Amino acid sequence: KAMCSGRLQTALLVAGYFVYLLVGAAVFQALERTAEKQEKMAASQMKEAFLQNFTQLTVAEMEQFMKNLIEAIQNGVYPVGNESQFEESNWDFSNSFFFAGTVVSTIGYGTLHPKTAGGQIFCVFFALFGIPLNIVFLHHVGKMLSLLCKKLGEFLYEKGMRKKKIKFLTLLFFLATGILVFLCLPSVFFQITEGWSYSEGIYFAFITLSTIGFGDYVVGKQSDRKYFSYYRVLVAIWILFGLAWIALLFNL
Amino acid sequence: VLLATYMGYVGLGAAVLQALERPAEVQAAQHLLQERWELLANHTCLQGPALQRLIEGIIQAYKSGITLQGNTTSLGRWDYSGSFFFSISAITTVGYGNLSPSTAAGRIFCIVFALFGIPLNLVLLNEIGQLMLLGVQHCSCRLEEMFHWQNKASFLMKTCALVTGLLLFLLLPPLLFSDKEGWSYEEGFYYSFITLSTIGFGDYVVGTNPDRTYPSWYKNVISLWILFGMAWLALVIKFSINLLE
Repeated sequence: KAMCSGRLQTALLVAGYFVYLLVGAAVFQALERTAEKQEKMAASQMKEAFLQNFTQLTVAEMEQFMKNLIEAIQNGVYPVGNESQFEESNWDFSNSFFFAGTVVSTIGYGTLHPKTAGGQIFCVFFALFGIPLNIVFLHHVGKMLSLLCKKLGEFLYEKGMRKKKIKFLTLLFFLATGILVFLCLPSVFFQITEGWSYSEGIYFAFITLSTIGFGDYVVGKQSDRKYFSYYRVLVAIWILFGLAWIALLFNL
Repeated sequence: VLLATYMGYVGLGAAVLQALERPAEVQAAQHLLQERWELLANHTCLQGPALQRLIEGIIQAYKSGITLQGNTTSLGRWDYSGSFFFSISAITTVGYGNLSPSTAAGRIFCIVFALFGIPLNLVLLNEIGQLMLLGVQHCSCRLEEMFHWQNKASFLMKTCALVTGLLLFLLLPPLLFSDKEGWSYEEGFYYSFITLSTIGFGDYVVGTNPDRTYPSWYKNVISLWILFGMAWLALVIKFSINLLE
C-alpha cells in the first residue's frame, strides 16, 4: 500500500508540474502577444520607410545587408558610432571574468557567449568542474550567513524565549533581511546606476538570483552610461551572497 | 583557501576565453565595418545618419527578438508552443532569453510564476533522480544475485548508468540536432551541455530557425530530454560534490 501511495504521489507531481507549465504558457501568451505584434509592425514600418526614401537600394541588397548586420549582432558586435568604438572589446579581461562567473553560477545571461568551437568546448569543460566548485563555495558562504542567524537565536534564547518561537523569528528575520538586502536595496541602487525603473530592477534582481538569467537586463552594458570602476565587482559580490542566501533558503 | 581557489578558477577561465574569442571578434567587427562602407559607397544617396538610424532600429528590434528578414510576418513567437517553451525555460532556470517578457505585467507574472515554479521543478527533478537511482540499485542487486559479486556490482552499475546517461543525454542528442537544426556536432554538444546545466545562454535554441520545418513530435521529445537529462546531470553533480567534500 505504501508503494501505491508513493507512485500516486509521483504521478500527481508529474501531472501538477505539467498543468503548471500549461497554465503559465497560456498566461504568458495572453500578456505578451499583442505587444509583440506592435513591435513587429513598427519594425517593418521602419524598414518600409527606409526603402522608400532610398529607392536606389534594391530589396535584395537590403536583405543581404540586414542578414550581415544581424549576424554581427549575434556575434556581439554592435556597429553603432564610428570606428573608434571597435577598440573596446567584449572579451577584455573584465568582461571575460564576469562571463566566467555567469557560467559557474549557471546564470548564463547570454549577452556574451563563445562563438569559436574552441571557446565552446572549453566552456563546457570549464562549467563541468566549475559548477560543483561554485556549489561547494556557496555552501560555505551560506554557512557563514547561517552563523549570524544562530547567534541571533542564541541571543533570544538567553532572553528566555521558547525554542519554537525563536526558530520562527529567526526564519522570519532571515527572510525579511534577505529580501531587503538582496532584492529591494539593489533595485534602488540599479535605479541610480542603470536608470531602470524600480520594478525593472526587482525583475532583474530576481531573474539573476534565481539563476534564470534571461539576459534582457544586464548590469554595466549600456554604452551611454558611465559606471564607477568597481561597479561590477560590487554587483558580483551581491550575486554571490544573494545566491548563497537563496541556497540556504531552499535548504530550510 | 576555498575563496582563493574559486577566484583563481574563474580568473583562469576568463583568461582562456579571452584568448580564444578575441581574434574571432576582431574579425567579425572588421568584416561588418567593410560591409557598411561598401554599402555606403555603392549608394551615394544613402546618408550616414539615416543608415545609422536604420542600424540602431534593427538592433533594437533584434533585442526584442524580432528579425526583419523576408516579407512574411513570420510565426508569432508568443504563440502557445513558444510560451510553453518559455515557461519551461523559466522554471528550470535555464532562461535562454531569446524570448523574454517585454510588458510589465508579463515580467511580474514571470517572477511569481518562477517563485513557485522553481521549487516545483526542483522537487520533480529530485523525484526523477531518485527513481533513476532506485533503478540502478535494483539492477545492481539483481546482478549481485545472479553472479555473486559483492561490491563490484554496485560500482559497475554506477559506471554503467553514468555512461548510458552520457550517451543518451549528451552524446546522442547532438546527432538529432545536426539533422534537424543544421548545427555541427560540436555545436549540438555545446548546446546540450549548456541547456542541461541550466546555464542557458540562448545563443543556440532548438526550434527557432525560421528557415526550417520541424516535425510535430520534436518539441515534445526535447522537453522530455531536458527533464530527464537535467535530473541525470544533477545526480552526477551531486556525486561529484560528495567527492569534492
